[in-house]
Amino acid sequence: MKFAHLADCHIGSWRDPKLKDTSTKAFSKAVDKCIKEKVDFMLIAGDLFNTSFPRLDNLKTVVTKFKQLKDLNIPVYIVPGSHDYSPSGKTILDVLEEAGLFINVFKGSAENGKLKLNFTLDKKTGTKITGILGKRGALEKKYYEKLILDNLENEKGYKIFLFHSGIDELKPKEMENIISQPLSLLPKGFDYYAGGHVHIVEDKQIEDYGRIVYPGPLFPNSFAELEKLERGGFYIVEDDKIRWEPIQIYNTLKIPVDCNHKTPEKIKDEILDQIKDKELNNTVVLIRLQGVLESGKPSDIDFREIFTRIYEKSAYFVMKSSHAVKTKEFEEIKTDARNVEDIESFLIKEHLGQIKLENLTLEKEEELVRNLMKTLSTERQEGETVPDFEKRAREEASRILELDL
Amino acid sequence: MTKGQVISGEFGKIIARQKSGQSIEIGELLISDSNDSKILLQVYDLVYGSQISQQNLELISGMKLEENTEFELFDPNLRNYMLAIMKSLVTIKDKNAFVSKSMPGFFSEIREIKESDLSFLTKPKNPLFVGNLRSGSKLLDVQIYLDGEKVFPHHILIAGTTGRGKSVLVSNLLWNAVGRGYCGILVLDPHDEYYGRNKTGLKDHPNKENIIYYTSKNAPIGTNTLKINLDVIRPHHFEGVVDFSDAQKQSLNLYYKEFGDKWIESIILEKNLKLGKLFKDDTLAVVKRRLLYLLDLEFSNNQLFCKGVFQLNSGFTTIRDICKQLEDGRIAVIDTSNFSGAVELLIGSLIANEVFNKYKSYKMQGSLNSKPVISIVLEEAPRVLGKEVLEAGPNIFSTVAREGRKFKVGLTAITQLPSLIPREILANMNTKIILGIEMKPERQAIIESASQDLSDDDRTIASLDIGEALITSNFARFVTPISIPYFEDVVKDTIKNKEEVKYEFSELK
Repeated sequence: MKFAHLADCHIGSWRDPKLKDTSTKAFSKAVDKCIKEKVDFMLIAGDLFNTSFPRLDNLKTVVTKFKQLKDLNIPVYIVPGSHDYSPSGKTILDVLEEAGLFINVFKGSAENGKLKLNFTLDKKTGTKITGILGKRGALEKKYYEKLILDNLENEKGYKIFLFHSGIDELKPKEMENIISQPLSLLPKGFDYYAGGHVHIVEDKQIEDYGRIVYPGPLFPNSFAELEKLERGGFYIVEDDKIRWEPIQIYNTLKIPVDCNHKTPEKIKDEILDQIKDKELNNTVVLIRLQGVLESGKPSDIDFREIFTRIYEKSAYFVMKSSHAVKTKEFEEIKTDARNVEDIESFLIKEHLGQIKLENLTLEKEEELVRNLMKTLSTERQEGETVPDFEKRAREEASRILELDL
Repeated sequence: MTKGQVISGEFGKIIARQKSGQSIEIGELLISDSNDSKILLQVYDLVYGSQISQQNLELISGMKLEENTEFELFDPNLRNYMLAIMKSLVTIKDKNAFVSKSMPGFFSEIREIKESDLSFLTKPKNPLFVGNLRSGSKLLDVQIYLDGEKVFPHHILIAGTTGRGKSVLVSNLLWNAVGRGYCGILVLDPHDEYYGRNKTGLKDHPNKENIIYYTSKNAPIGTNTLKINLDVIRPHHFEGVVDFSDAQKQSLNLYYKEFGDKWIESIILEKNLKLGKLFKDDTLAVVKRRLLYLLDLEFSNNQLFCKGVFQLNSGFTTIRDICKQLEDGRIAVIDTSNFSGAVELLIGSLIANEVFNKYKSYKMQGSLNSKPVISIVLEEAPRVLGKEVLEAGPNIFSTVAREGRKFKVGLTAITQLPSLIPREILANMNTKIILGIEMKPERQAIIESASQDLSDDDRTIASLDIGEALITSNFARFVTPISIPYFEDVVKDTIKNKEEVKYEFSELK
């Protein structure tokens, strides 16, 4: 038996025109590799798309690749992730599943307020697969708390559990801020736990459970992830052997700059010196600056010239992170969050409790704010008229706020 | 109902004659009314009174015992009686209470206390229920609350002999603090009794999402397996936990300085320091052996294996996760029943250091006011706060005891031997909940360090029955006698009207 385990494809994640197709390219490359490897089936542990209604061009590529897999009789089993659902619970995944392109294994029934999951059988290999979706703010935790375990733990045969959640005990140091749940919520006795959501590459054998695996994203999803992971990838599991297959779309070059006791001019020279002898073809260049400037402000660093010189060396894309650079006058940083989601989460939490409404608990308020933000950041879809878009946005907001707008 | 009449005494020792047919108990609360106020009195001693001389009393008794003579006293209720010795607790005027500075009038009547006399006992902003007011052995329908936000950072001492109800009291305190938001409580639980793995406990609370439980073995569903990464341990975490010699301490510090997070691994793997060989082989060998034993590590074939709580590849965020939960006003129960005392204290030291340092930095940033207070519940407190332990140097718990209140971090120290704790630390514990204590030196240690004058209460403390307690606190108006309710009853009362929410799994296929 041979299968592939992907997660966090986040198709459509990068907004910059130069990177916006990268996740789609990474997905296509991963599928091609799976076909070449002749896997029996493929698992996707959530967050196939970055939004519940992805752009049509991305969708078209993804559908084409799924069709290819279907034609080659390579079934795909998925659970939706926290990015796959709209606040109203809608997802394009439903449409794709209806079209027979993959199977969502979050199947079962509600029994007296408890969740009873059913297994999906992979006919070719006899593997039994089930799993639980991921929701925004780790709200899937309630599902685990209500999960009936007997049928899952007593089932015989090779079993796979797909999940899209962080695990407290396994979280790496730099991800302490992500919401996660205890290991004890997972049903015991599965042969393979196919994880997603946490963008780390990890394969651990855990006593009483089994192999718990996170393949990481197919392509890093942010500046910090590009720095840490450099590239994405997925796992191929063949019998008891497991290997991580990297997906190389671009090379990466990291330029860390310690700004302490340096002038903006010196920093520029230092960066240019670091790229002097480098080949930058097809390379994403990441410049991270931190420290306290000897004089001047971060905006005094001549990034225009730095970027021009890097692009002259045929770099594909240049990014900089200078939020950790301080001037001597202003040394205070209000948040150490590293990405947009962290900052959003920080700000929401900071302002919770200011709306005083009956029955509005802090948890409900946070969920409401997140849902509203998500709805209001929805983009107009291709072919959608402005009035239709406005109507859709109003309806979504109306439903979330439980008001007639 | 009149129970007696004030007849003599002095301030702090008011003597009243008990009315015939009435009974007065030690610890009983009584009221003496005057025109515009009333004085709340408490009985702390009882003696016999008689109009007949001692010699005649002895003679009367002899006639009965030796000669079986039937003897009837003329006006017996007038001649023989009880005298109650009382102290005034507070003077009550309208709904306010003040420290008493006068005595009840001569021959003023004393009566039984009524609930309405205690209307000055209002519910504080952050109520922490401790028990019901008790008058002697009688229970009053008056619930006693302390202001949790004030008492936790000013430290609580819970003292009492085994079996007098310390665990029940702590269970009640924790149960009532769940989900209040104003406090986070860290419980180092060496008997694994508070979460209620196999009995009623915090797991049954309707707001159980505000309780986190870490255990090293067979974590119940929804709870965490305690794993702590070796990288988070620093040499100072061992202070007050393991008695390293000066040379050994130096070696720990030098390895940390050179190898950072990986200093423990480096000692075990015997990596060389850049500075060269600075210690005797024996010193490093002893340090290595002690670390291996303490952290439950195994070193074989030049490889390090983790057998217990301390891990190489997991548990990176455990300590920070626990702190974050405490900062969110949750209760974190750490089951330490499988560990030796030193390991338990090391884990406590790791968390307490993290919490204390974080709160110190919040104070510097000016954001401390918006944070909940944090209390660290320590069983058998003299293990870390004992005189002998502290002679070897301070540890994080003694630092919290001395400085914690400035940073909203306090201790809830539980002990049956308060005399082992240095007096200045005992005096810093501004709330003491005293249960029955038989041993005189232990009572004395409490009496000498109490927030209110307990010099006359030695007998009262000795006579406290199971579930009875006295509260002395900077935040209580008077030494308050309470009765601690059974934990099971508290649980039943809370959950009787709660209906379980039924979930719909809308995304289910």
